[in-house]
Amino acid sequence: MKDSVRLFVPYRSGEGKMKKKVIIVDDSIAVARQLEKIIAESDEFEVLAQARNGAEAIKLYQGKKPDIVCMDMNMPLMDGLTALRTLLALDRSAKVVMITSLGGVGDKYTEALKLGARDVISKPFQPEDVLRVLRAL
Amino acid sequence: MAVKFFGQYLIEKGVVSREGLLKAVALQDSVNLKFGDMARSMGLITDADIDRVHDAQKTKDQHFGEMCLSLGILTKEQMQQVLARQKVTHLYIGEALVKVNAIRDEDLARHLAAFKADQAPYAVEAVAIPKGVPHAYLWEIAADLSYKMFSRVVNLTFRRGACTSITSMDRNDVVVAMQMHGTVEARYVLSVSAGVRDQIARAILKEQDVSKEPREVLVDAVMELMNIACGNIVAKAVQMGYAIEIAPPVIVAAPLAAPASGCALLFPLHTAEERVEVGIFIEKK
Repeated sequence: MKDSVRLFVPYRSGEGKMKKKVIIVDDSIAVARQLEKIIAESDEFEVLAQARNGAEAIKLYQGKKPDIVCMDMNMPLMDGLTALRTLLALDRSAKVVMITSLGGVGDKYTEALKLGARDVISKPFQPEDVLRVLRAL
Repeated sequence: MAVKFFGQYLIEKGVVSREGLLKAVALQDSVNLKFGDMARSMGLITDADIDRVHDAQKTKDQHFGEMCLSLGILTKEQMQQVLARQKVTHLYIGEALVKVNAIRDEDLARHLAAFKADQAPYAVEAVAIPKGVPHAYLWEIAADLSYKMFSRVVNLTFRRGACTSITSMDRNDVVVAMQMHGTVEARYVLSVSAGVRDQIARAILKEQDVSKEPREVLVDAVMELMNIACGNIVAKAVQMGYAIEIAPPVIVAAPLAAPASGCALLFPLHTAEERVEVGIFIEKK
Protein backbone atom coordinates (compact mmCIF):
# COMPACT_ATOMS: atom_id res chain seq x y z
CA MET A 1 0.00 0.00 0.00
CA LYS A 2 1.41 3.38 -0.93
CA ASP A 3 2.27 5.91 1.74
CA SER A 4 -0.62 8.37 2.03
CA VAL A 5 0.88 10.85 4.50
CA ARG A 6 0.16 14.51 3.65
CA LEU A 7 2.42 17.24 5.01
CA PHE A 8 1.49 20.89 5.56
CA VAL A 9 3.69 23.99 5.87
CA PRO A 10 3.67 25.33 9.47
CA TYR A 11 2.10 28.75 9.78
CA ARG A 12 3.22 31.59 12.09
CA SER A 13 0.42 33.96 13.10
CA GLY A 14 0.79 37.74 12.83
CA GLU A 15 1.40 38.08 16.57
CA GLY A 16 4.43 35.82 16.25
CA LYS A 17 2.88 33.12 18.40
CA MET A 18 3.30 29.62 17.05
CA LYS A 19 0.06 27.74 16.73
CA LYS A 20 -0.19 24.28 18.30
CA LYS A 21 0.60 21.66 15.69
CA VAL A 22 -1.87 18.87 15.10
CA ILE A 23 -1.63 15.68 13.09
CA ILE A 24 -4.83 14.05 11.87
CA VAL A 25 -5.04 10.28 11.59
CA ASP A 26 -8.14 8.97 9.81
CA ASP A 27 -8.65 6.61 6.87
CA SER A 28 -11.53 8.80 5.71
CA ILE A 29 -10.48 11.63 3.39
CA ALA A 30 -13.80 13.31 4.15
CA VAL A 31 -13.25 13.36 7.93
CA ALA A 32 -9.64 14.49 7.55
CA ARG A 33 -10.86 17.34 5.34
CA GLN A 34 -13.55 18.28 7.85
CA LEU A 35 -11.06 18.32 10.74
CA GLU A 36 -8.49 20.19 8.67
CA LYS A 37 -11.06 22.90 7.94
CA ILE A 38 -12.11 23.23 11.59
CA ILE A 39 -8.50 23.45 12.74
CA ALA A 40 -7.36 25.74 9.92
CA GLU A 41 -10.14 28.22 10.70
CA SER A 42 -9.11 28.43 14.36
CA ASP A 43 -6.50 30.92 15.58
CA GLU A 44 -4.83 28.50 17.92
CA PHE A 45 -4.11 25.33 15.96
CA GLU A 46 -2.76 24.24 12.61
CA VAL A 47 -2.59 20.92 10.81
CA LEU A 48 0.97 19.70 10.36
CA ALA A 49 0.25 16.46 8.54
CA GLN A 50 -2.31 13.74 7.89
CA ALA A 51 -1.95 9.96 8.08
CA ARG A 52 -4.49 7.34 7.05
CA ASN A 53 -3.71 4.53 9.49
CA GLY A 54 -2.02 3.91 12.82
CA ALA A 55 1.29 2.71 11.38
CA GLU A 56 1.69 5.90 9.34
CA ALA A 57 0.73 7.95 12.40
CA ILE A 58 3.54 6.50 14.50
CA LYS A 59 6.13 7.16 11.81
CA LEU A 60 4.80 10.66 11.37
CA TYR A 61 4.74 11.38 15.11
CA GLN A 62 8.38 10.37 15.53
CA GLY A 63 9.46 12.56 12.64
CA LYS A 64 7.29 15.63 13.29
CA LYS A 65 6.71 15.69 17.07
CA PRO A 66 3.31 17.42 16.92
CA ASP A 67 1.65 18.98 19.96
CA ILE A 68 -1.59 17.04 19.46
CA VAL A 69 -2.72 13.91 17.59
CA CYS A 70 -6.38 13.55 16.54
CA MET A 71 -6.93 9.87 15.77
CA ASP A 72 -9.74 7.64 14.53
CA MET A 73 -10.25 4.19 16.12
CA ASN A 74 -11.54 2.03 13.27
CA MET A 75 -8.80 2.06 10.62
CA PRO A 76 -7.19 -0.53 8.34
CA LEU A 77 -3.63 -1.90 8.85
CA MET A 78 -3.33 -0.62 12.41
CA ASP A 79 -6.40 0.47 14.41
CA GLY A 80 -6.44 3.58 16.57
CA LEU A 81 -6.21 1.89 19.97
CA THR A 82 -3.15 -0.13 18.92
CA ALA A 83 -1.56 3.03 17.54
CA LEU A 84 -2.43 4.91 20.75
CA ARG A 85 -0.75 2.20 22.87
CA THR A 86 2.37 2.24 20.67
CA LEU A 87 2.56 6.01 20.54
CA LEU A 88 2.32 6.40 24.31
CA ALA A 89 4.97 3.71 24.78
CA LEU A 90 7.26 5.89 22.66
CA ASP A 91 6.28 9.16 24.30
CA ARG A 92 4.29 9.05 27.55
CA SER A 93 3.54 12.78 27.25
CA ALA A 94 1.91 12.52 23.79
CA LYS A 95 -1.44 14.30 23.69
CA VAL A 96 -3.81 12.04 21.77
CA VAL A 97 -7.53 12.68 21.22
CA MET A 98 -9.59 9.87 19.75
CA ILE A 99 -12.25 10.97 17.26
CA THR A 100 -14.51 8.04 16.52
CA SER A 101 -17.96 6.77 15.68
CA LEU A 102 -17.39 4.18 18.45
CA GLY A 103 -17.22 6.80 21.23
CA GLY A 104 -20.57 5.67 22.57
CA VAL A 105 -19.30 2.13 23.17
CA GLY A 106 -18.44 2.22 26.87
CA ASP A 107 -15.62 -0.35 26.67
CA LYS A 108 -13.94 1.43 23.76
CA TYR A 109 -14.28 4.85 25.38
CA THR A 110 -12.86 3.73 28.72
CA GLU A 111 -10.14 1.62 27.08
CA ALA A 112 -8.95 4.71 25.20
CA LEU A 113 -8.86 6.72 28.45
CA LYS A 114 -7.13 3.88 30.34
CA LEU A 115 -4.46 3.70 27.65
CA GLY A 116 -3.84 7.42 28.05
CA ALA A 117 -5.97 9.23 25.47
CA ARG A 118 -6.65 12.76 26.71
CA ASP A 119 -10.25 12.72 25.43
CA VAL A 120 -12.67 10.95 23.09
CA ILE A 121 -14.93 12.79 20.64
CA SER A 122 -17.91 10.95 19.15
CA LYS A 123 -18.87 11.21 15.48
CA PRO A 124 -20.84 12.99 14.18
CA PHE A 125 -19.17 16.02 15.79
CA GLN A 126 -19.57 19.76 15.52
CA PRO A 127 -16.61 22.18 15.12
CA GLU A 128 -17.12 23.48 18.66
CA ASP A 129 -16.81 19.91 20.06
CA VAL A 130 -13.36 19.57 18.51
CA LEU A 131 -12.10 23.03 19.47
CA ARG A 132 -13.40 22.72 23.05
CA VAL A 133 -11.40 19.51 23.52
CA LEU A 134 -8.24 20.80 21.81
CA ARG A 135 -8.28 24.01 23.87
CA ALA A 136 -8.54 22.00 27.11
CA LEU A 137 -5.29 20.11 26.40
CA MET B 1 -24.74 14.44 18.81
CA ALA B 2 -24.46 10.69 19.00
CA VAL B 3 -25.36 7.60 20.98
CA LYS B 4 -23.41 7.89 24.23
CA PHE B 5 -22.89 5.99 27.43
CA PHE B 6 -23.49 7.57 30.82
CA GLY B 7 -19.84 8.05 31.83
CA GLN B 8 -19.01 9.76 28.55
CA TYR B 9 -22.01 12.07 28.91
CA LEU B 10 -20.92 13.07 32.44
CA ILE B 11 -17.36 13.83 31.29
CA GLU B 12 -18.62 15.93 28.39
CA LYS B 13 -20.87 17.88 30.75
CA GLY B 14 -17.93 18.49 33.08
CA VAL B 15 -19.69 16.63 35.91
CA VAL B 16 -16.94 14.03 36.39
CA SER B 17 -13.25 14.03 35.57
CA ARG B 18 -11.43 11.51 33.39
CA GLU B 19 -9.71 10.22 36.55
CA GLY B 20 -13.04 9.90 38.38
CA LEU B 21 -14.53 7.85 35.55
CA LEU B 22 -11.47 5.59 35.37
CA LYS B 23 -11.64 4.96 39.15
CA ALA B 24 -15.32 4.02 38.80
CA VAL B 25 -14.59 1.71 35.86
CA ALA B 26 -11.78 0.03 37.84
CA LEU B 27 -14.24 -0.56 40.67
CA GLN B 28 -16.75 -2.02 38.19
CA ASP B 29 -14.06 -4.31 36.79
CA SER B 30 -13.32 -5.66 40.27
CA VAL B 31 -16.99 -6.19 41.18
CA ASN B 32 -18.62 -7.23 37.89
CA LEU B 33 -17.01 -10.65 37.51
CA LYS B 34 -17.06 -12.53 34.24
CA PHE B 35 -19.05 -15.77 34.21
CA GLY B 36 -16.03 -18.01 34.82
CA ASP B 37 -14.62 -15.88 37.62
CA MET B 38 -18.05 -15.67 39.28
CA ALA B 39 -18.55 -19.46 39.02
CA ARG B 40 -15.09 -19.98 40.54
CA SER B 41 -15.79 -17.51 43.36
CA MET B 42 -18.95 -19.53 44.11
CA GLY B 43 -16.87 -22.71 44.31
CA LEU B 44 -18.64 -24.29 41.33
CA ILE B 45 -15.63 -24.59 39.00
CA THR B 46 -11.83 -24.73 39.23
CA ASP B 47 -9.00 -23.03 37.32
CA ALA B 48 -8.53 -26.27 35.39
CA ASP B 49 -12.21 -26.14 34.33
CA ILE B 50 -11.74 -22.56 33.11
CA ASP B 51 -8.74 -23.66 31.01
CA ARG B 52 -10.82 -26.54 29.58
CA VAL B 53 -13.60 -24.14 28.58
CA HIS B 54 -11.16 -21.69 26.98
CA ASP B 55 -9.57 -24.53 24.98
CA ALA B 56 -12.99 -25.73 23.80
CA GLN B 57 -13.97 -22.17 22.81
CA LYS B 58 -11.06 -22.10 20.36
CA THR B 59 -12.88 -24.59 18.14
CA LYS B 60 -16.52 -23.80 18.93
CA ASP B 61 -18.15 -20.39 19.17
CA GLN B 62 -20.11 -20.72 22.42
CA HIS B 63 -20.58 -18.55 25.50
CA PHE B 64 -18.62 -19.58 28.61
CA GLY B 65 -21.73 -20.73 30.51
CA GLU B 66 -23.11 -22.71 27.59
CA MET B 67 -19.73 -24.34 27.06
CA CYS B 68 -19.70 -25.36 30.75
CA LEU B 69 -23.02 -27.10 30.09
CA SER B 70 -21.74 -28.78 26.91
CA LEU B 71 -18.66 -30.08 28.74
CA GLY B 72 -20.68 -31.27 31.75
CA ILE B 73 -18.81 -28.89 34.10
CA LEU B 74 -21.99 -27.20 35.31
CA THR B 75 -25.63 -28.25 35.48
CA LYS B 76 -28.30 -25.98 34.02
CA GLU B 77 -29.37 -25.07 37.55
CA GLN B 78 -25.82 -24.10 38.53
CA MET B 79 -25.50 -21.98 35.39
CA GLN B 80 -28.70 -20.15 36.34
CA GLN B 81 -27.31 -19.58 39.85
CA VAL B 82 -24.18 -17.96 38.42
CA LEU B 83 -26.20 -15.75 36.07
CA ALA B 84 -28.49 -14.72 38.92
CA ARG B 85 -25.49 -13.84 41.13
CA GLN B 86 -23.97 -11.78 38.30
CA LYS B 87 -27.26 -9.89 37.95
CA VAL B 88 -27.70 -9.24 41.67
CA THR B 89 -24.14 -8.07 42.26
CA HIS B 90 -23.82 -6.02 39.04
CA LEU B 91 -22.53 -2.52 39.76
CA TYR B 92 -23.75 0.08 37.29
CA ILE B 93 -21.49 2.95 36.29
CA GLY B 94 -23.67 5.52 38.10
CA GLU B 95 -23.46 3.54 41.36
CA ALA B 96 -19.71 3.08 40.87
CA LEU B 97 -19.24 6.84 40.37
CA VAL B 98 -21.04 7.45 43.66
CA LYS B 99 -18.92 4.83 45.46
CA VAL B 100 -15.66 6.46 44.31
CA ASN B 101 -17.05 9.91 45.26
CA ALA B 102 -16.98 11.16 41.67
CA ILE B 103 -20.63 12.24 42.01
CA ARG B 104 -22.94 12.63 44.98
CA ASP B 105 -25.60 9.99 45.62
CA GLU B 106 -28.31 12.66 45.84
CA ASP B 107 -27.37 13.97 42.37
CA LEU B 108 -27.34 10.61 40.57
CA ALA B 109 -31.06 10.51 39.73
CA ARG B 110 -30.92 14.05 38.33
CA HIS B 111 -27.92 13.25 36.13
CA LEU B 112 -29.57 10.03 34.92
CA ALA B 113 -32.74 11.93 33.99
CA ALA B 114 -30.71 14.54 32.09
CA PHE B 115 -28.80 11.78 30.30
CA LYS B 116 -32.05 10.06 29.36
CA ALA B 117 -33.38 13.32 27.93
CA ASP B 118 -30.12 13.88 26.00
CA GLN B 119 -30.35 10.43 24.48
CA ALA B 120 -34.11 10.51 23.81
CA PRO B 121 -33.57 11.35 20.10
CA TYR B 122 -31.77 8.02 19.82
CA ALA B 123 -34.52 5.91 21.42
CA VAL B 124 -35.23 3.07 19.00
CA GLU B 125 -38.54 3.25 17.16
CA ALA B 126 -40.13 -0.03 16.10
CA VAL B 127 -39.29 -1.39 12.65
CA ALA B 128 -41.15 -4.50 11.43
CA ILE B 129 -38.68 -7.32 10.67
CA PRO B 130 -39.84 -10.43 8.77
CA LYS B 131 -40.63 -13.37 11.08
CA GLY B 132 -37.90 -15.91 11.76
CA VAL B 133 -34.95 -13.56 11.29
CA PRO B 134 -32.44 -14.09 14.14
CA HIS B 135 -31.65 -11.13 16.44
CA ALA B 136 -34.57 -9.14 14.99
CA TYR B 137 -34.23 -6.37 17.60
CA LEU B 138 -30.64 -5.73 16.57
CA TRP B 139 -31.78 -5.14 12.98
CA GLU B 140 -34.53 -2.82 14.25
CA ILE B 141 -31.77 -0.81 15.96
CA ALA B 142 -29.68 -0.86 12.77
CA ALA B 143 -32.54 0.27 10.55
CA ASP B 144 -33.89 2.92 12.88
CA LEU B 145 -30.50 4.51 13.58
CA SER B 146 -29.70 4.43 9.84
CA TYR B 147 -32.94 6.33 9.17
CA LYS B 148 -32.07 8.80 11.94
CA MET B 149 -28.57 9.40 10.53
CA PHE B 150 -29.99 10.03 7.05
CA SER B 151 -32.46 12.53 8.54
CA ARG B 152 -30.14 14.29 10.97
CA VAL B 153 -26.72 14.14 9.36
CA VAL B 154 -27.66 14.19 5.67
CA ASN B 155 -30.96 16.08 6.04
CA LEU B 156 -32.53 13.68 3.51
CA THR B 157 -36.30 13.69 3.10
CA PHE B 158 -37.58 10.15 2.65
CA ARG B 159 -40.31 7.70 3.56
CA ARG B 160 -39.36 4.52 5.39
CA GLY B 161 -40.13 1.54 3.15
CA ALA B 162 -41.19 -1.86 4.51
CA CYS B 163 -38.36 -4.24 5.34
CA THR B 164 -38.27 -7.30 3.08
CA SER B 165 -36.22 -10.48 2.85
CA ILE B 166 -34.05 -10.51 -0.27
CA THR B 167 -31.82 -12.96 -2.08
CA SER B 168 -29.62 -10.32 -3.72
CA MET B 169 -28.99 -6.58 -3.82
CA ASP B 170 -28.68 -4.72 -7.11
CA ARG B 171 -25.83 -2.44 -8.16
CA ASN B 172 -26.09 1.29 -7.55
CA ASP B 173 -23.85 4.33 -8.03
CA VAL B 174 -22.12 3.66 -4.70
CA VAL B 175 -22.38 0.48 -2.65
CA VAL B 176 -20.29 0.24 0.51
CA ALA B 177 -20.20 -2.34 3.30
CA MET B 178 -19.05 -2.85 6.84
CA GLN B 179 -18.52 -6.23 8.52
CA MET B 180 -19.98 -6.81 11.97
CA HIS B 181 -18.50 -9.53 14.22
CA GLY B 182 -19.47 -10.87 17.63
CA THR B 183 -22.93 -11.91 18.79
CA VAL B 184 -23.77 -11.86 15.09
CA GLU B 185 -21.74 -12.20 11.93
CA ALA B 186 -23.27 -9.81 9.42
CA ARG B 187 -22.53 -7.29 6.72
CA TYR B 188 -24.13 -3.85 6.80
CA VAL B 189 -24.51 -2.50 3.27
CA LEU B 190 -25.33 1.03 2.15
CA SER B 191 -26.40 1.61 -1.46
CA VAL B 192 -27.03 5.10 -2.84
CA SER B 193 -27.64 6.67 -6.24
CA ALA B 194 -25.60 9.67 -7.47
CA GLY B 195 -27.88 12.44 -6.18
CA VAL B 196 -27.90 11.10 -2.62
CA ARG B 197 -24.16 10.38 -2.83
CA ASP B 198 -23.61 14.10 -3.48
CA GLN B 199 -26.03 15.12 -0.74
CA ILE B 200 -24.10 12.91 1.72
CA ALA B 201 -20.80 14.44 0.56
CA ARG B 202 -22.15 17.98 1.07
CA ALA B 203 -23.23 17.06 4.60
CA ILE B 204 -20.05 15.22 5.60
CA LEU B 205 -17.65 17.72 4.02
CA LYS B 206 -19.82 20.65 5.13
CA GLU B 207 -19.56 22.15 1.62
CA GLN B 208 -22.31 23.76 -0.45
CA ASP B 209 -20.96 22.49 -3.76
CA VAL B 210 -19.26 19.14 -4.34
CA SER B 211 -19.60 19.08 -8.13
CA LYS B 212 -15.83 19.47 -8.61
CA GLU B 213 -14.87 16.85 -6.05
CA PRO B 214 -13.25 13.67 -7.40
CA ARG B 215 -15.35 10.52 -7.20
CA GLU B 216 -12.94 9.12 -4.59
CA VAL B 217 -13.91 11.88 -2.15
CA LEU B 218 -17.64 11.46 -2.82
CA VAL B 219 -17.47 7.70 -2.23
CA ASP B 220 -15.34 8.27 0.87
CA ALA B 221 -18.06 10.55 2.28
CA VAL B 222 -20.62 7.75 1.81
CA MET B 223 -18.27 5.36 3.63
CA GLU B 224 -17.94 7.87 6.45
CA LEU B 225 -21.72 8.16 6.80
CA MET B 226 -21.86 4.36 7.04
CA ASN B 227 -19.04 4.45 9.61
CA ILE B 228 -21.01 6.95 11.71
CA ALA B 229 -24.23 4.93 11.38
CA CYS B 230 -22.53 1.63 12.26
CA GLY B 231 -20.59 3.12 15.18
CA ASN B 232 -23.81 4.43 16.67
CA ILE B 233 -25.60 1.12 15.96
CA VAL B 234 -22.84 -0.74 17.81
CA ALA B 235 -23.02 1.72 20.73
CA LYS B 236 -26.78 1.20 21.03
CA ALA B 237 -26.48 -2.58 20.52
CA VAL B 238 -23.86 -2.85 23.28
CA GLN B 239 -26.21 -1.00 25.65
CA MET B 240 -28.78 -3.70 24.82
CA GLY B 241 -26.39 -6.51 25.71
CA TYR B 242 -24.97 -7.43 22.30
CA ALA B 243 -21.21 -7.79 21.83
CA ILE B 244 -20.34 -6.42 18.41
CA GLU B 245 -17.19 -5.12 16.73
CA ILE B 246 -16.97 -3.48 13.32
CA ALA B 247 -14.28 -3.61 10.65
CA PRO B 248 -13.22 -0.64 8.49
CA PRO B 249 -15.63 0.17 5.60
CA VAL B 250 -15.06 -1.22 2.11
CA ILE B 251 -16.37 -0.47 -1.39
CA VAL B 252 -18.47 -3.23 -2.95
CA ALA B 253 -18.06 -3.62 -6.70
CA ALA B 254 -19.98 -6.84 -7.44
CA PRO B 255 -23.70 -7.50 -6.89
CA LEU B 256 -24.37 -8.95 -3.44
CA ALA B 257 -26.11 -12.26 -2.78
CA ALA B 258 -27.63 -13.41 0.51
CA PRO B 259 -25.32 -15.86 2.32
CA ALA B 260 -26.14 -19.49 1.51
CA SER B 261 -26.34 -20.30 5.22
CA GLY B 262 -28.09 -17.10 6.31
CA CYS B 263 -30.46 -14.44 5.09
CA ALA B 264 -30.57 -10.83 3.91
CA LEU B 265 -32.85 -7.91 4.68
CA LEU B 266 -33.53 -4.79 2.65
CA PHE B 267 -34.61 -1.47 4.18
CA PRO B 268 -35.50 0.95 1.36
CA LEU B 269 -35.60 4.71 1.94
CA HIS B 270 -38.10 6.08 -0.56
CA THR B 271 -37.26 9.50 -2.01
CA ALA B 272 -38.71 11.39 -4.99
CA GLU B 273 -36.04 10.46 -7.54
CA GLU B 274 -33.18 8.66 -5.87
CA ARG B 275 -32.52 5.08 -4.81
CA VAL B 276 -31.29 4.59 -1.26
CA GLU B 277 -31.15 1.21 0.46
CA VAL B 278 -29.71 -0.30 3.60
CA GLY B 279 -29.07 -4.03 3.40
CA ILE B 280 -28.18 -6.44 6.19
CA PHE B 281 -26.59 -9.73 5.15
CA ILE B 282 -26.70 -12.14 8.08
CA GLU B 283 -24.58 -15.27 8.38
CA LYS B 284 -26.07 -18.12 10.36
CA LYS B 285 -24.16 -18.63 13.65
